[in-house]
Amino acid sequence: MFMNAAIIGVGQSAYVRRPQPGESTHTFIRDAIVAALQDAEINASEIQGMAVTSFSLAPDTAVDLAWRLGLSLRWLLQDTNGGSSAMNMLGHALRGVETGAASPILVVAGDATGLGGYAKIAANYNIATREHLAPLGHGGPNGVYSLVTTRQMNKYCVTKSDYGHMAIAQRAWAAKNPFAVYRAPLTMEEYLAAPMVADPLTRYDCVPVVAGAQAIVMAHPDRCPRGRAPVRVRAIRNSFNYDNQEGDGLQTGISTFAEELWQTAGARPDDIDVASIYDDYPAMVLAQLNDLGMIADHDLATYARREIGERRVPINTWGGMMSAGQPGGPAGGLNGISEAVLQLQHRAGGRQVKDARVAVTTGYGMTLYRYGGTAAAAILERME
Amino acid sequence: MSAGIGIWRCRNCGAGYFPERLLCSRCHGHDFVSARVTEGVVEEITVIRHVLGQTEWQPRRLANVRTVNGPRITVGLRDESEPGTAIELFEEGNAPFGAAKPVP
Repeated sequence: MFMNAAIIGVGQSAYVRRPQPGESTHTFIRDAIVAALQDAEINASEIQGMAVTSFSLAPDTAVDLAWRLGLSLRWLLQDTNGGSSAMNMLGHALRGVETGAASPILVVAGDATGLGGYAKIAANYNIATREHLAPLGHGGPNGVYSLVTTRQMNKYCVTKSDYGHMAIAQRAWAAKNPFAVYRAPLTMEEYLAAPMVADPLTRYDCVPVVAGAQAIVMAHPDRCPRGRAPVRVRAIRNSFNYDNQEGDGLQTGISTFAEELWQTAGARPDDIDVASIYDDYPAMVLAQLNDLGMIADHDLATYARREIGERRVPINTWGGMMSAGQPGGPAGGLNGISEAVLQLQHRAGGRQVKDARVAVTTGYGMTLYRYGGTAAAAILERME
Repeated sequence: MSAGIGIWRCRNCGAGYFPERLLCSRCHGHDFVSARVTEGVVEEITVIRHVLGQTEWQPRRLANVRTVNGPRITVGLRDESEPGTAIELFEEGNAPFGAAKPVP
């Protein structure tokens, strides 16, 4: 439990499908930081630490970003763990504030690769991908997770329409998020009729690449703006390369620490009011929920139809990356954390979950070869 | 085209790897010998029908293959093999491919 560190403010840039001339990863990150500082009522000159992740910051690094932002810091981190980066940075920043290494700390993530830039990243994700997958024309992560999705459908008797319930529910949440790039209602007919991208994944199973950035501000809870509840992290756990790619990819690293996470947090799955589950693909949302112990009897199909489809459990209430957009995997992860904070601070507007007090957030990513190698989860709590 | 797919086998415990590793994840030995796997069984299939930034893309079939005494490998399929099919493995450049074994 972190007693002296909390999330006190959040901010984001615009999300756009195609960045305009003059817009770059750096400008989107700047916009998110400006918004977060304003939200937290913190002056830029007060910032002592910064954590950043991005697929498209190079050749700049974190210190270049600090320089261009005019931030003189004593704590600096650059994370490279993809869909887990936001969660990873959250943990490091919490410990940084808690131990007095730095406070306040900015945590920021953003990308503006454009579609062509994203395709290059996808083909050169790591050495294994560049040498053994890209030459096959694997289509980036879509090809990898199409195979994982088929495995999940076969093992757990999940149907295509089960995944559709998730896409439709998240689109309904996105309708209430002015930052989401896709907000029009989605029907099951539209979902099932969508063009195939990589069998069995269709268009609405694949996150739309956007340009954008997120930022959160962490500090002592006393620094939270008056009248707003700080958000504390009860517990956070990470996993890296949990099975050496020797499994089937239907479990994530969350399975290695879920029990310890709940125990440390003093909470149970039933306590969760709102969940931000990293949604690069619908199958991986179900896999993470299953690993967290949130799916009774490992019945993924029923959970997708009932708990998600009927919105009995509020999951990815900003629309998730599937509807709001994915500004690179890293920023997509920070989006889920930001949304959980807004929900717990009762500032989520039309999508507010009534009386939300406890949230779970996750990260998943860094496809090593056959599936992702990083995972993380945290239990967040509204402080009164 | 060369027959089989090159894998790396731990000299100490015999575990097979693809892609190459630096240490064996089972015994943490660091000495590997080259080996080749020539056959496998198709487990799952996908067809890559659309790729970002590609306007004249031709669909390609990929498969997850369980190799005999070796690791699971993602290969390009050169034919219409379905899950459960035993296939021959081969390399084009460094890339792994497979196709159904010819009927004797």
